Amino acid sequence: MSWQLIARQDVSDTATQRSTRVLLALVAMATLLAGYIYPLTVPEEAATTTATFSTYAVGWLTTLVPLVGVLLGYGSVVSERESGSLLLSLSLPISREDVLLGKYVSRTGLLAATIVGSLAIAGWLVVYPFGTLDLLPYLGFVVLTALFGAIWTGIGIAVSLLVSTKRRALVLGVTVFFLLVIVWDTVVQALSLALEELGITDGELPDPLQFVAGLEPGRLFRRITEGFIDPNAAVDGAWYLSEWIALVLFVVWLVGPLGLAYLRFSGVDLS
Amino acid sequence: MNAIDATNVSKHYGSTTALDRVDLTVEEGETFGFLGPNGAGKSTFINILLDFAKPSDGQVEIFGTDCQRDGVDARERVGVLPEGYSVIERLTGRQHIEYAIRSKDAHDTNPLDILDRVGIRDAAGRKASGYSKGMAQRLVLGMALVGEPDLLLLDEPSTGLDPNGAAEMRRILREENERGATIFFSSHILEQVEAVCDRVGILQNGELVAVDTIEGLRESMGGGTKLVLTLDELRDSTLAEIETIDGVETVASVGDSTIEVTCTNDAKMDIVVALHQAGIEVMNFKTEEASLEDMFIEYTGSRGR
Repeated sequence: MSWQLIARQDVSDTATQRSTRVLLALVAMATLLAGYIYPLTVPEEAATTTATFSTYAVGWLTTLVPLVGVLLGYGSVVSERESGSLLLSLSLPISREDVLLGKYVSRTGLLAATIVGSLAIAGWLVVYPFGTLDLLPYLGFVVLTALFGAIWTGIGIAVSLLVSTKRRALVLGVTVFFLLVIVWDTVVQALSLALEELGITDGELPDPLQFVAGLEPGRLFRRITEGFIDPNAAVDGAWYLSEWIALVLFVVWLVGPLGLAYLRFSGVDLS
Repeated sequence: MNAIDATNVSKHYGSTTALDRVDLTVEEGETFGFLGPNGAGKSTFINILLDFAKPSDGQVEIFGTDCQRDGVDARERVGVLPEGYSVIERLTGRQHIEYAIRSKDAHDTNPLDILDRVGIRDAAGRKASGYSKGMAQRLVLGMALVGEPDLLLLDEPSTGLDPNGAAEMRRILREENERGATIFFSSHILEQVEAVCDRVGILQNGELVAVDTIEGLRESMGGGTKLVLTLDELRDSTLAEIETIDGVETVASVGDSTIEVTCTNDAKMDIVVALHQAGIEVMNFKTEEASLEDMFIEYTGSRGR
C-alpha cells in the first residue's frame, strides 16, 4: 500500500522538524497545565474526577488544537506541489489518494499521539493524589479530543489541496481558523448581547440560533463532552441541540472539508 | 498490445489549444522520439499520460490501461522522468532510489547498482537537494530504471546534461531497449533523437504533423537531398528562379553567396543548368543527405534550438 510509504516518509520527515515539535509541545504543555491546575479549582467538598476534568480541559483545547492542526496541515501537500517533488511521487505507481491519505494519517497521527500521551499524563495529575479515575468516560474523552485534532489537521490538509502555493495555503488556513475560532465566538457573544439589549431574549439565544452558533467544531466538541462524558454537565434544549446530533455534525466536520477538497484536487491539473 | 495508444487527445487551457486531436500509437519494443519546438505541447501530452493533467477530450492508454481511470496501474510498468519535478527535500540520492524501489515493490534491486549505472554512486549519501541539475536528472533516470519497466517515459531527458552525460543517457536508453523496454522520449535536440530513435513524431502547435521512421521522413522530403552551392554572385532574383524548378522544395541563402536547396535527386542537374543559363557560375557544389534538423525546420518552420 503506497499510502503507508507516504505516511512513513512524512512522519520521519515532519517529526524531525523543529516547527512541528514546537507546535506539538504547545498542545502537550497546555494539556498538562490543565491537568495540573484543575484539582486546584475544584471546591473541597466536590469530587475531582477525570470525567469532570473533561469539560474543563475542553476550554484549554478549543483554541490551541485548531491552530496547531491547521499549521500542521496547511503545507503538507502544497509545499511539495509548489516545489515539484509531488510530481516525482506521482510519477511512481502512487496515486493522489495515496498522497492525501498518507499525509493525513501522518499529520493526524502525530497530533493524536501527542494528545493521547499528554492527556494520559494529565489524567494522572488529576487523579493523584485525591481524585478518582473514571476510566471509560476518560478514554472516550481522549478519543474525542484526538478526533477534534483530526478535524483540524483535516481542515489544514484540505486547505493544502485547494491552492497552488504554500503562501496562499497559509493565508487561507489562518483565515479559516480566525473565522471559526476567534470571530465566531465574538459574533455569537455580540449577537446574544444585542438580542438581550433589545429585550427579545433573556440572555440565552433561541434554540434555532443556538443550533447555528453551535455548528462550529469547538462548540460541538464541548457539547458532546458535556452530553456524554461529564456527569456534572447536561445538554438541554430542542432535540437538534442534543449531543447525538452534535456527534453527527462532528463526523461531518471530520470528513466534509477533506472530502470536498479531495474531489477538487483529484481533477486538477498539477502541471 | 501497444505501449502507448492515444486516441483523439485534445487539451484546451481556456481559449488556447495545447493539444489538438492527437492520435498516436507507440508499439511495444520501439524507441520513439517525440519532437517539437518548445511550447508545441510535448510535455502536455506526457503529463496526460502521467495523469498530471486531464485531457479535455480523447483518451490515452499505456499497455491497454487507461491513464486517467487507472493511473496507478498504468504507471506500474512504467519508468518516468517527468518535467518540472524537483527532488524530495531531505532525502539522499540513495533514499530516492529506495523510495522508487518500495513504491514499485522491486525489492531485489540494489540501490547502489542503479546509482552506479547512472554514474552518481559517489553522491549516494548526499542530500539530493544539493545535486546539480545534471545529477538530479541522472538520479531521476535511476528512479525510472528501478524494477525493469516495460516502458520508459522521459520528458527532455538530456536537460542539464553535458555532452558526455547525454551520450551516457543514450547508451542507457539503448541498453534498456535491447532488454526489451519500449522507450518514449521527448526532445527538442535533434541529434539525440536521430541517434537512437526507430520512429519520430513531430508536434507543432499541438498538432501531430508527422509520424514516421527517419528514412520515411527523408523520403517524404522528396529523396531528401540537400545541395549546398557556392556561387560567384547571388542576385536578388536567383532564389526565386531556383524555387520555380520542378522538384525543388526549399531554397535558402545561408551566407554571402552560398545557398542551400532541398530537392529531389533528379532536380539537382536542372538547378545547375538553370544557374549556368542565367550566367551565374557555380564555384563549389556539394550534396548532403537531409538531416533530421532540416526536416524539422521543414515541418515546423522554426529552428529547434
